[in-house]
Amino acid sequence: MNTGKLERGSVIVDLEKYLYPESSKAALKKINFKINKGEFIGVLGRTGSGKTTSLMLMNGLIPHFFEGDLTGSVVVNTMNTQRYRVQTLARFIGLVMQDSETQIFGITVEKDTSFGPSNLNYSKEKIKELIKKSLSLVGLSGFEKRITTELSGGEKQRLAIAGVLAMEPEIIVLDEPTSELDPSGRAEIFRVLSEIRKEENVTVIISGHDSEEMLDFADRIIILDEGEVVWQGKPQDLFKDVFLTEKYGIRPIESAEISNVFHNSNSNDSKIFLHSEGLIEYLKGQLENYSVKNATHKVSIFPKQKKTVIEAIGLSFGYRKNEAALHQINLRINKGEFVAIIGKNGAGKTTFSKHLNGLLRPTSGQVQINGRDIQSVSTSELSREVGYVFQNPDHQIFSATVKEEVEYGLKNMNLSKPEIEEKVTRVLEFVGLKDYQDRHPFTLGKGERQKLAVASILVMEPGILVIDEPTTGQDWDGTKRMMTMMKELNQKGHTILTITHNLRLAAEYADRIIVFSNGKVVLEGTPPEVFSQEKILESASISLPESVKIGKSLFELGFKSGLITVNQIKEQLLENLSLINVN
Amino acid sequence: MLIDYYPSNSFIHSLDVRTKILGFFIVTVTAFVFLSPVINLLLVLITTLILLSMRTPFNKVKQIIKPLLPIFLIMLLITGFTYPAEKFQLDVNKQILFYLMPDNTLPFSTGGIFYGLTLTLRILIMVIASTIVTFSTPIEDIIQLMQKMKMPYQLAFVIATGIRFIPTMQKKSEMIQEAQRARGTEFGNKGLIGNIKGYIPVLIPMIVDSIRMSENLAIAMLNRGFGAYKTATNLHEIKMTKKDYIICFAELVVLIAAIWANTENVGVM
Repeated sequence: MNTGKLERGSVIVDLEKYLYPESSKAALKKINFKINKGEFIGVLGRTGSGKTTSLMLMNGLIPHFFEGDLTGSVVVNTMNTQRYRVQTLARFIGLVMQDSETQIFGITVEKDTSFGPSNLNYSKEKIKELIKKSLSLVGLSGFEKRITTELSGGEKQRLAIAGVLAMEPEIIVLDEPTSELDPSGRAEIFRVLSEIRKEENVTVIISGHDSEEMLDFADRIIILDEGEVVWQGKPQDLFKDVFLTEKYGIRPIESAEISNVFHNSNSNDSKIFLHSEGLIEYLKGQLENYSVKNATHKVSIFPKQKKTVIEAIGLSFGYRKNEAALHQINLRINKGEFVAIIGKNGAGKTTFSKHLNGLLRPTSGQVQINGRDIQSVSTSELSREVGYVFQNPDHQIFSATVKEEVEYGLKNMNLSKPEIEEKVTRVLEFVGLKDYQDRHPFTLGKGERQKLAVASILVMEPGILVIDEPTTGQDWDGTKRMMTMMKELNQKGHTILTITHNLRLAAEYADRIIVFSNGKVVLEGTPPEVFSQEKILESASISLPESVKIGKSLFELGFKSGLITVNQIKEQLLENLSLINVN
Repeated sequence: MLIDYYPSNSFIHSLDVRTKILGFFIVTVTAFVFLSPVINLLLVLITTLILLSMRTPFNKVKQIIKPLLPIFLIMLLITGFTYPAEKFQLDVNKQILFYLMPDNTLPFSTGGIFYGLTLTLRILIMVIASTIVTFSTPIEDIIQLMQKMKMPYQLAFVIATGIRFIPTMQKKSEMIQEAQRARGTEFGNKGLIGNIKGYIPVLIPMIVDSIRMSENLAIAMLNRGFGAYKTATNLHEIKMTKKDYIICFAELVVLIAAIWANTENVGVM
């Protein structure tokens, strides 16, 4: 594998093993790969599979910053990383990390972009030229004098890319740069990267969980699992193999998942489609002259009670005078509903949700929880009725053990010791953290910490749960686990409100979707109702999930309407499989 | 306070940071040279006019002054009652307005209240003058000035980055407080010890987060070549222009005039 010639912009990793300091388990083992100049490489794998570690290896942070025990060699841009300082390597290989906040040093955009080249003692003229060029490459021309803290998440991440571009690297490495971004921010990052690669012939190595973008942009995918490279190849070959993606915890492409129903009966995998267009074309060809048999849909309708638990009446709110963040919101949510709130960043989703437990108070209008106007009810009192799980579990964990963390809310409620004990045990069992109860929360993985955050809210037994972006930054396994937990809670009778960018999950799990745009509710209804309003969704900057597009075409082919999820479509196709296979 | 820079094209904005800081010191010294509230009032007027000429929002000044108002009132009362009237040079100031207690105890003198007025006006002058400097000067200029005064580049960088992170940390602390309030934490009504204890759920995540951030920052710094050389290029260098020299000269003239006037018994009480 490592026979490739040494050239600028290439990466050759030949690693026996690497252990972090004071660790007995190898974080990476037998990593062998070569990346050529100008390649666009996607690094995939579960959280904790060694993606970040292997990227840190490339610019010398391992072994210079994280020391540990390293056997093997890493040659980047013809330089052995063990022999050069990180600062020297930084001229040739730039790293962009997940948290955009800690990569920004300047108060203004211009100043921040200049940080790298200034450190390299370039002349003023050259730096000015580099700033101009880098900002233009990432689409931030005209932002020079803007204050960095006021940029959006996507803009910050693009600024971080400009910051490393200004050092004119041969290689750019990006460690999950999109995991905190909304879909439009994410698309923008990939667009910018492919532009940079084209213009500057820079090698791009990016890790993350964005299956669609990896498929469309990457030349090659490297999959890591438990610290080893387990698969390398073309993204098309990876995503056509639904079992492979499942095995390594990679989110499958919806079209591939659906067309996989043809796979079992026919070994020719040319019938696996990676884009909805191809699949739709194929189905049209197969089904045009046949009458479709609709499967009796196994809908599981839970008897929903009609009792209103949340009601917003003419709710308006502004962070500043004359600037409405929410405008005349009228909403009613019934007991036991599972509601997904969608909309792009800044549309008012979180601002609205924070009114439900009094973290924010309406400028005009009112919010009723369980029939009571909450204007003068304190957040701490409301916490028994409305539980609010924030996106980042680390913003609330402060105790020395898992158990104490969960107890905290109950202590605020002045309950008796045995009562607390009983409730805590029950909740820990429910979320599956019983065995960890005496562990220190920060020794747990991210997924477990998220569960702990949920547990510490759940223990107060609120009837309503608001869950803010539960799947952001999670891998596919974590996403599924979180959604399953939410579904279980819903079945136990909790009313669930979740703010999410993940439309696939909204389609699959929610009873109702509410769409926010510019501080207003522009659409609400069942998932099929909402997804049929393409125009309104487009104006709210929301693009349809692939499965919805396929469902629409199926309707035109004579299938029943309202097919929106992967599973519903698979079910219908299986019913008609004989029809398709005849040809 | 240091990040209140508000971009504008005003004359003050175009001046060098050194001219502005010298101006600030001279205004402050002048305010302290004269005891009379009349001259201090004049200085308040002049500085306010300069501030208004910058066309920057006035709200921030109000925000700073508002909490000071009760202190100003207390100062006026205390000096009014306690300053011995016979110490004043001018007759008008020796006048006693009334006594708080019978038998001529606790006299309230005109001079006393004027003296209190001078003290409050001095604070006001300093607030306005410093606002002029911070509103019109980007933090980079101030850091450059420190570097000119031989502060090492690394230290200057630390200060600049620290300032850059103030809004970030404020936002983090707000997010953490919200997360804890959503779990039933109540801030600020349990007495002193209770309050300190109440903030532990905020402090610990804050500290943990800061440690994580500082590690990421260190990585990002290396990654941008920090420390590749002993120094770094300054993209934008502060420069004294002709305008600056003229204003500095004028400022010094004001200072000398003020000191001379003081020796001539102008503005005494």
